[in-house]
Amino acid sequence: MRGENRGRVINEDKKKKDTCMTGKILILCFICLPSLLKAQTPDVVIYPRPREDTKLAVADFVARTSDTSEVQAALEIFDRVLWDDLEFSAFFEMPSKSFYPLKPLRSPTDVKFDNWQVPTLDVDFLIFGNLQVDSGLAVVEAYLYDVRTREQVLGKRYNISDKALIQRVAHEFADQVVFQLSAGTSRGVARAQIAYSSLKGQGKEIYVMDYDGANQRTITANGGLNKFPEWSSDNSKLAFITHLPRSSRWELWIQSLDGGRRVLPLPSSYVASPAFSPDGTQLAFSTREVNGTDAGIYISNLDGSRLKNLSNHSAIDSSPTWSPTGRQIGFISDRSGSPQLWLMDSDGSNVQRLVREGGHCDSPNWSPDGRFITYSWQPRGQWNHQIYVIEVATGRIFQLTSGRGSSENPHWSPDGRHIAFQSNRTGAKQIFVMNADGKNLRQITAYGSNESPAWAGYPVTETQE
Amino acid sequence: MRRVSLYNLSWFLCFLCLLTAAACQKRPPPRAPSPSPSRSGDIARNDRRAGSLPTVTLTASPSSVERGEQTTLSWTTTDTMSLLIDSGIGNVADSGSLVISPRESTTYTATATGPGGQATATTRVTVVPRSARGIITSTDLDGLQQAIEEGKIQPLFFEYDQAGINAEGERVLKENARWFQQFPNATIVIEGHCDERGTEEYNLALGDRRAQAVKVHLVQLGIDPGRMETISFGEERPFAPGYDEAAYRLNRRAHFIVIR
Repeated sequence: MRGENRGRVINEDKKKKDTCMTGKILILCFICLPSLLKAQTPDVVIYPRPREDTKLAVADFVARTSDTSEVQAALEIFDRVLWDDLEFSAFFEMPSKSFYPLKPLRSPTDVKFDNWQVPTLDVDFLIFGNLQVDSGLAVVEAYLYDVRTREQVLGKRYNISDKALIQRVAHEFADQVVFQLSAGTSRGVARAQIAYSSLKGQGKEIYVMDYDGANQRTITANGGLNKFPEWSSDNSKLAFITHLPRSSRWELWIQSLDGGRRVLPLPSSYVASPAFSPDGTQLAFSTREVNGTDAGIYISNLDGSRLKNLSNHSAIDSSPTWSPTGRQIGFISDRSGSPQLWLMDSDGSNVQRLVREGGHCDSPNWSPDGRFITYSWQPRGQWNHQIYVIEVATGRIFQLTSGRGSSENPHWSPDGRHIAFQSNRTGAKQIFVMNADGKNLRQITAYGSNESPAWAGYPVTETQE
Repeated sequence: MRRVSLYNLSWFLCFLCLLTAAACQKRPPPRAPSPSPSRSGDIARNDRRAGSLPTVTLTASPSSVERGEQTTLSWTTTDTMSLLIDSGIGNVADSGSLVISPRESTTYTATATGPGGQATATTRVTVVPRSARGIITSTDLDGLQQAIEEGKIQPLFFEYDQAGINAEGERVLKENARWFQQFPNATIVIEGHCDERGTEEYNLALGDRRAQAVKVHLVQLGIDPGRMETISFGEERPFAPGYDEAAYRLNRRAHFIVIR
């Protein structure tokens, strides 16, 4: 309601994106009149709709030759990960396995398509396959069939040298299925890593994990405070801020996943919230002149050269996020009194206020298709943040989380259908993922305290068929 | 740069006063022995033997000091009409002395110009960083550290989402500034902190704003900005563990540590 009467210039990103999207399926369509002050789940609809468009069955994979306990353990992992990935993608209706025919499906010759079209099932697509483990080596054969036409859509054989890679194969096949059945709308997010900051003793270290919380591994181990990680567009580097023990300044680090790192020279002891430009040549971040009193938005090259103050305002300006074209930057500023979401062109011109609701906004993150910005907001007089989405062109606002605790630091998945964030609703800060409509919430970390998730882009080396 | 020239200018002015005073009295004999002692001023010039080369000596005593300590530059000349000492000192009388406190090691060259030509003399003052010797430094470090441990240096507290210093904060800073001045060689870090409400990104900027506000206030109270550093910890390092206003009030603070 409150957003609708607001006149707003449609920004360049939106225009360009719309042109690009012509002829494709729109990923998301928000249709609702939200009330911000009531904690009400908005009626956000994801297309293709999970419950109406595509019915998918995922039969348990079976042992190809010898059915040992080792094979059973691998099968259990593979079936669970593949099911979770496909269910999380929010493209499919997936009937319960209890309705499935009992006959195991080892290869295409085992499939009786009529059995998958009975009224209780009536699926459009069927996944099945087999798995074999021989002295550590594993082979997975995976099939996707169109039940209506009885034709094979995908047939894949994966040879892996270590059965610890079973999860990875399941993720990869899930992403292939999503890519095929979403008509290219999504390339799947199951292999896209999430970087985050994890409390370790007195310090916080940067970690990376799979999107489902598995396979957590450390990127830093310096014993200091490492915060606000963000990926480069090619996923090869992470930028974050570091406060080393006994130091009296924050540093801006760019660390390659292969180990090399660079510390950028900065004018003062304060820096926060680095964000790579979409073309990978620049960083936007928040820092301050040595004798200044307030943070401002700066950009520089990745070696720290050509440092430029973009916001030039005597207020706190922080938390920059680039539009996907790199033409605009969203940021937080308290120049109007309290921290609110503002936009400017990436040369610092054309500054305009986007959110006008009062209270406190923080941590904006621009959606990959350019239409939305997700951020956290705390209404005046309350002490907890919740996750919101604003449609940039119209200013319409949608509340995605509600209830206990404070939910902060939202970050889009590379396909723009999901959002990762941190919340202390269960006690310590933990990382959650959900659909972009707020549904299908999953807690993916459970131990210690974890914050500031940053979802990587699509893997760049992948080959799609 | 500006500070250096002002500094030297003030010395120069003092020197002029001395000179004026000296002109009203009998001048004392030159400090350092000179091969051909001559009287200063116009009389000396009248006595000069036209055509002989000027001579000049320049010494610094002591020649090595710690940063902030003083040394005396002394010079004598003969057959000189004008004497110039470089490194920001300028034209001086043809014999005399000057108390200086260079910030870093400096080479001083005195150029004497007379009817017979020019002569130069050079001396070097070596300035050692304080920590290199450590005696005075550690005294100040320890003294201030002790004052912090004894609770004589107080933190100050802020309102929610504010970085303004209230009357109580001003009183605390005034008192703290007195201690900082008592130990002028210690370097202080001002830490800015926030309560846990609000987000980490904004709170890091808010803590920075608080620390900078305190630094600006202390500069106004006469503390050298060169011995103050600031760092924000946002909501990373709460004093009090609770989740109520009593705890939050203690966590919205700026406090002081001494690092060297």
